[in-house]
Amino acid sequence: MEGLLQLLFNGLSVGAVYALFALGYTLVFSVLGVINFAHGAIFTMGAYFTYLLIGGAVGANGLLAGLQFPFALPFWLALPLAGIAAAAVALVVERIAFRPLRDRGSDPLLALITSLGAGVILVNLIQLLVGAESYSIPVGTLGSLPAALSIAGAKVRTVQVMLLAISGLLLAALSIWINGSRSGKALQAVSEDPVTAQLLGINSARVIQIAFGISGFLAGMAGGLVGLSISIAGPYFGIGYGLKGLGVLVLGGLGSVPGAVLGGLIIGLAEACVPADLSGYKDAVSFGFLFLVLLVRPQGLLGRPQANKV
Amino acid sequence: MNGPQAPLLELRNLVVRYGSITALHGINLKVQAGELVTLLGANGAGKSTTLRAISGLIHPVGGEILWHGGLINRLRTERTVKLGISHCPEGRRVLSRQSVADNLALGAWLRRNKVAIASDLERCYALFPRLAERRSQLAGSLSGGEQQMLAISRSLMARPTLLMLDEPSLGLAPRLVAEVMAALSQLHRDGLTILLVEQNAQAALTIADRGLVLEAGSISAGGSAEQLLADNSLQASYLGAN
Repeated sequence: MEGLLQLLFNGLSVGAVYALFALGYTLVFSVLGVINFAHGAIFTMGAYFTYLLIGGAVGANGLLAGLQFPFALPFWLALPLAGIAAAAVALVVERIAFRPLRDRGSDPLLALITSLGAGVILVNLIQLLVGAESYSIPVGTLGSLPAALSIAGAKVRTVQVMLLAISGLLLAALSIWINGSRSGKALQAVSEDPVTAQLLGINSARVIQIAFGISGFLAGMAGGLVGLSISIAGPYFGIGYGLKGLGVLVLGGLGSVPGAVLGGLIIGLAEACVPADLSGYKDAVSFGFLFLVLLVRPQGLLGRPQANKV
Repeated sequence: MNGPQAPLLELRNLVVRYGSITALHGINLKVQAGELVTLLGANGAGKSTTLRAISGLIHPVGGEILWHGGLINRLRTERTVKLGISHCPEGRRVLSRQSVADNLALGAWLRRNKVAIASDLERCYALFPRLAERRSQLAGSLSGGEQQMLAISRSLMARPTLLMLDEPSLGLAPRLVAEVMAALSQLHRDGLTILLVEQNAQAALTIADRGLVLEAGSISAGGSAEQLLADNSLQASYLGAN
């Protein structure tokens, strides 16, 4: 019984991060109809930002070798700040890789290539600046909190509880924002019909920026959380998450916010069910699962049938 | 600004291109405040392009778009809405995943005065009582005619100075065409300036003050609605057998 609870916890905490990650894709997809392939790199940058803000030092490689901020912020402050910094990066990506194409009226699919390019540049930039080694966020970061908690007999790492709690809060905030706020309503209108939204007086360029900003914020927070929970395994560590996030996105249904959350949790749980000695097959299990679902429901679990999107 | 006698809207020598294809070859058009002007012509003549240029969805490569005599060629769409230009697009384009009431609320996007918005909402429901009955229904579940009424109402919710409609009769049964035209005529009598793009010339000219005929990107004929209705050659060549 405790084993099951533990498994559930492991799965949900990983899944919640996947959900955050996939929601970033979803936001941009819903307004532009394309995937932002730089999303994984923005997630990675969020992890590095978090590491630096809590007072971590850059290693011996890279242009910034030995750099350390003269302050060490507590994790609860460093994480949202890293999210904001990642949002800024996402806005730059939008400005450079997306907007020029849109202004010329190019095929939206071209943004796949430019965003992929932006992602490669960001990853290389990280390597250039801080080197390729892995960094881990010290356990002491959480201050006086114990490393593990006992919940109903199951031993759960504090980090996982935080992962789950923070992701849950962000997901709730996001859905309140989308359904309750003025800019959230604008986002829905742009997502359904950008031209009509403009004719109603909605500044769709601004809505797209907001979507990128929030998407980057979520990615940065997810990066910081994963960095804390596991470690930052080098500049490329976002790529695996990027692919996983795409899987989550497709599983849940492209463009569906609840779908991204559901997809994330399901893939997280599916992975947690893989026994430790077979953990090398985790990705095979999650993508195999995705494959099976798509055979039955090509539009994803909560996606709308394609006919809706012109 | 060119003084008080400048028309509400004026197009001078307007040229619009889509890539290498020229859609409008320098058209001229004036709409005075309070008029109902209809722009007629066959498919692909450039009627929709004219409206798209006025509302800033596409920017002209030549000529001038004047609003109260001031140049507005390069304004973005949300700015033209703010000026008082409301463009009800072809094919209705209601937001099908949102309710009738939400669609109408979005029509008032740039307005802040809640009291005025609420009273305009009641006017829309009075104009099209069927929308009031279906206010909480999803817009996608409405019939074509109801969607058209919703699209027109949504444009009215911006409280425009100029209402531009792109083929409101498209795909509607004759009875509904008559209903929509009657509503537009009512709005016109209440003082609203309307630029109506139509293929259904008969229906449009019945309620319009003046008409212009677009042919392959140029204006080929124009005159009062009575003149155009009486012109048999025009009926035959451009306006179809209606």
